[in-house]
Amino acid sequence: MLELYDKIEAAAAAIRQQWSETPRAGIILGTGLGGLAEQIESPTAIDYPDIPHFPRSTAVSHRGRLVCGHLRGVPIVAMEGRFHQYEGYPLKQITLPVRVMKVLGAETMIVTQAVGGMNPLYRPGDVMIIDDQINLMGDNPLVGINDERLGPRFPDMSAPYTPELIDVGQSIARREDFVVHRGVMVAVTGPNLETRAEYRFLRMIGADVVGMSTVPEVIVAVHSGLRVFGLSVITDMCLPDSLKPAEVEEIIAVANQAEPDMRALVLGVLEHEAAR
Amino acid sequence: MLQLASQIEAAAAVVRQQWATIPEAGIILGSGLGGLADELKTEATIDYAQIPHFPRVSALGHRGQLVCGTLNDARVIAFQGRFHLYEGNTASQASILVRLLQELGAGVLVVSNAAGGVNPAYEVGDVMLIDDQINLMFANPLIGVNDDNLGPRFPDMSAPYDRRLAEVAVEVARQKDFVLHRGVYVAMLGPTYETRAEYRMVRRLGGDAVGMSTVPEVLAARHAGMRVLGLSTITNVGSPDMLTETSGHEVLEAAATASDKLIKIIRGTVHSLTA
Repeated sequence: MLELYDKIEAAAAAIRQQWSETPRAGIILGTGLGGLAEQIESPTAIDYPDIPHFPRSTAVSHRGRLVCGHLRGVPIVAMEGRFHQYEGYPLKQITLPVRVMKVLGAETMIVTQAVGGMNPLYRPGDVMIIDDQINLMGDNPLVGINDERLGPRFPDMSAPYTPELIDVGQSIARREDFVVHRGVMVAVTGPNLETRAEYRFLRMIGADVVGMSTVPEVIVAVHSGLRVFGLSVITDMCLPDSLKPAEVEEIIAVANQAEPDMRALVLGVLEHEAAR
Repeated sequence: MLQLASQIEAAAAVVRQQWATIPEAGIILGSGLGGLADELKTEATIDYAQIPHFPRVSALGHRGQLVCGTLNDARVIAFQGRFHLYEGNTASQASILVRLLQELGAGVLVVSNAAGGVNPAYEVGDVMLIDDQINLMFANPLIGVNDDNLGPRFPDMSAPYDRRLAEVAVEVARQKDFVLHRGVYVAMLGPTYETRAEYRMVRRLGGDAVGMSTVPEVLAARHAGMRVLGLSTITNVGSPDMLTETSGHEVLEAAATASDKLIKIIRGTVHSLTA
């Protein structure tokens, strides 16, 4: 874990050479949500292979570059494409970009992802603000000797998603008049989707949606002391008694439909954070 | 797993050089419970760094030495400091203390830990006798080619914690007049404390307490055919609907409060071994 510190510094230095501003927030754009990156003003895009120690994006619809610039005048860095455990990357490597955001000066992380909805009240295309999470990935990015420069040995997880930002998100949805849920996300490794029996199990342990990312990044964000806002797009319903085969193309299409709601929430939270 | 036997032999040889006794029991002291070693009539103290194949200890409140001697006339080894998965150890490394005891001939393992209580009846400073366990660590020390000299391929887990030792512990608590819960311990990987949603999950799955250790050690001990007594001190209460922040240092303080009860139980239990 000790050499991690040097890797973070090297990655941050490479980014600073191309973009010298201090970001207010870091944004991770999940499956089908890359379009938000096109809204970024005066962008400087850095391909992941040009950033030392960054893995390469192999997932469908993930482009694999870091876009630095402004959203509504607020300086941000946005990850267009993220890394997953199912791609074979260790969690420490997956979460390296979060460490880099922190070193660059970000105080807030906004994370988005596509998920399967298990709460029967949810519908495809709905957005859920992540209230809490369950880690069923069988791993944790903080395993190993702890580097106290990066964060505490045993991070508290009583409120991994900043309660104030959850409230801000809900009030944005009310004002803009669209449905936003608030629920629990469980993360599994994937890459296979769940069986009906597994959906029943995940529902039984208290989850509303299931995904294959976000949990490692949020654990590291909490370890680093970042404020966290998390959004899930429900791209398909995972109701065990009426389950249809999932199609990746359809999942991406539904995620794109939800983009106006997502954009309103991300921009609103960014403005709130900039005014803090 | 096959090279494990030679590693344990090398480790045991170093211990035997300094303490040539067959222990009746080994006691693994969890976070903040290391003080129990002061109760021993000490005959030898060995730093983990001197023992081949032992990983290094990095955890808060764990010292990293074994103390050999007698406790209430029973010959015991007390382990001050254990190895956790969250430190980057494999489950097999995490249970090497137990394998050492097996090689030295100990028939009983007493294992203690600091745990978060998820049963609403539990209070900070309470002690829970571990009745059963759930492995949510996504790891098992017995994975790999089985060494039949160490234990069976498929160890039975119908009663990992020994009934007779549990009865002695319950009797001690009654005689000394303090609350001793009896419940299910759930082990998770850590090092993050649980989220509210994870506490709810643990409760729904049937857990009464949740922690980051013990399960690998108990799996190895059962594989080795050892009788096990397990004790959790409730150092924080993971009540998801009124969760407060948890810090490592608070956990250690609460463990120290409970250690008096723990010492009484362990004294009584090891004494029963000599009867």
